[in-house]
Amino acid sequence: MRKTRIVARSVWKTAEGRFSVVVLGIWIAVSLLSLVWTPCSLWSTDGYDTWASPSTRHWLGTDGTGADVFSWLMAGSRTDLVIAVLATMFSAALGFLLIGMTASRSNVFSNMSVVLIDALISIPTILIALVLAVPLGASVAVVVIACGIGHGLNLARVCRPQALLAARSGHAKSALSAGAGGRYVLLHHVLPNILPTLIVQLSLSAGTAVLAESGLTYLGVGVPSGVPSWGHSLATSVKFVDVFPITVIWPGLLVTVVVVALNMFGDCLRNAVDPVSNAMLRKNGAVGASEEGKSR
Amino acid sequence: MRFVLQRLALFVVTLLGVSVLVFAALRVLPGDMAQLMAGMNSTPGRVASIRKSMGLDRPVFEQYTGWLWGLMHGDFGMSMLTGRAIAATVKTRASVTFPLIALGLLAAMVIGLVFGYEATMSHRPAVRVMFHLLALVGGAIPALWGGLLLILLFSKGMGIIGLFPSQGFPASGWRQPVQALSSLALPALTVGIIDGATLMRYTRSALTELLSSDVIAMTMASGYTRRQAMVRVGFRLALPQLVSVTGLLFASMVTGVMVIENLFALPGIGYGLVTDLGNRDLIAVQSELFMLAAFFLFVGFIVDVIHRLLDPRMRHPEQEG
Repeated sequence: MRKTRIVARSVWKTAEGRFSVVVLGIWIAVSLLSLVWTPCSLWSTDGYDTWASPSTRHWLGTDGTGADVFSWLMAGSRTDLVIAVLATMFSAALGFLLIGMTASRSNVFSNMSVVLIDALISIPTILIALVLAVPLGASVAVVVIACGIGHGLNLARVCRPQALLAARSGHAKSALSAGAGGRYVLLHHVLPNILPTLIVQLSLSAGTAVLAESGLTYLGVGVPSGVPSWGHSLATSVKFVDVFPITVIWPGLLVTVVVVALNMFGDCLRNAVDPVSNAMLRKNGAVGASEEGKSR
Repeated sequence: MRFVLQRLALFVVTLLGVSVLVFAALRVLPGDMAQLMAGMNSTPGRVASIRKSMGLDRPVFEQYTGWLWGLMHGDFGMSMLTGRAIAATVKTRASVTFPLIALGLLAAMVIGLVFGYEATMSHRPAVRVMFHLLALVGGAIPALWGGLLLILLFSKGMGIIGLFPSQGFPASGWRQPVQALSSLALPALTVGIIDGATLMRYTRSALTELLSSDVIAMTMASGYTRRQAMVRVGFRLALPQLVSVTGLLFASMVTGVMVIENLFALPGIGYGLVTDLGNRDLIAVQSELFMLAAFFLFVGFIVDVIHRLLDPRMRHPEQEG
């Protein structure tokens, strides 16, 4: 518990950490708020009030159907939040499975994971999404699964050297000879050692999921039309960019700020949980990676 | 050599696996594929004729082997809509996409390497912070939005400074090289900025690590300045890592390229694939997806081999502790 507080304080101490926590906090708060309240109803369209300029009634104006841009962006934030969370969880699960295979004592599993990762890493996420989109059509699942597979593989590739080192370290060997199982070693020796890298990769994959959503939705294989999302807002305003260029600014700006915040948050969290870079953590006794398991 | 052969075998096996996956993805559709390709409101006669002409009346296994046999002989099937050979269509489209990717990669490397180098070597903290923020923001821009901003800034007619055409590609293609090149300028720049930011991050971390290494200290001790040491020795040492990153970048670039082609109305592979998907021209989609996947697997194979050649340490991994 004490350790969690030290980590939280170290994140908050830096300007980047504060910025990212505030942005991500607002994102979550707005997503929840949009479930119960938006300034205008999403479906109250006014055919005489299309492409309106910003006003007290429509804070960011209206789009081509007369719907309120601000309300759609608010509602879109929850879709992107769900996609980011699900895609990250998916990639964490797949990545950790592959890392477990890499670090396992069985040569068959270890080699199999290497072959799988090497073979599939060079296939772009968008191709996976397009293959999935043929049977599934445009859906949130396409974005989540495609990003999950793409980043899960990447996660395993990036963490592989560290995971192997940890799995073959003296700590791990002595634990094994003392009768510990493979799962114990994985959770108490491999995981803490790859944690800093893992955090950075997961925050990157959350950011890339948001980016992928906007791209895939524009291409017609992401979030289905009618479901609010930032990609949807961006795609609808793109069609009329020559008439109303200003509407295009908002959704893109929103995505950029959120993705920057996600990446910054990952960097700060990595520095905060890594005892090598965080002096506060060392001073308070939580020194080595293998110590972590016992203090819980 | 053994490594190259092993890697080649892996490439072939994965290629087969991908062909099964792509083929299966199009067959697990609920309902009849011929019906789907013909559309909802088509006559039974049209459905039957599509089924026959596309060979969908044969057993699934026979369809797969037939398709695979065709692929090996350069026969990718024919488009349902135009009746043209898919291989020919893809060839025309590739003449737009490959120059776009090459230009984008060039822009990304110039941006990534030069800025990454400056971000590491500059003595002024303000400059380093600025490059750091530039890398963060550049990598977070949605390709679609980045392209739009460039259109709004630099396109003829719509932009503030009219330099390049905003959309389209000359109908006569590369026979008008100046027009073709200028219509690729903004799209390539968009892709280059976004992926250049990623490359910049990797360049910076690789060079920063080297900066405090004994090798650079040794080079400087023999009379080179810090910058000379980094350019002559540092980049050579960082090269294997940067080649790997560029290879991955190549794959990630394609997502951007597909969006960008659609935004700029460039008749390339990405634009064509999305159009075919929208038209339910499924045999074309199947062959095109396979070709793209094969291409990227091949790039991955080449990058792995180059990496192995550039880094002598990789050649004898068992000698490492």
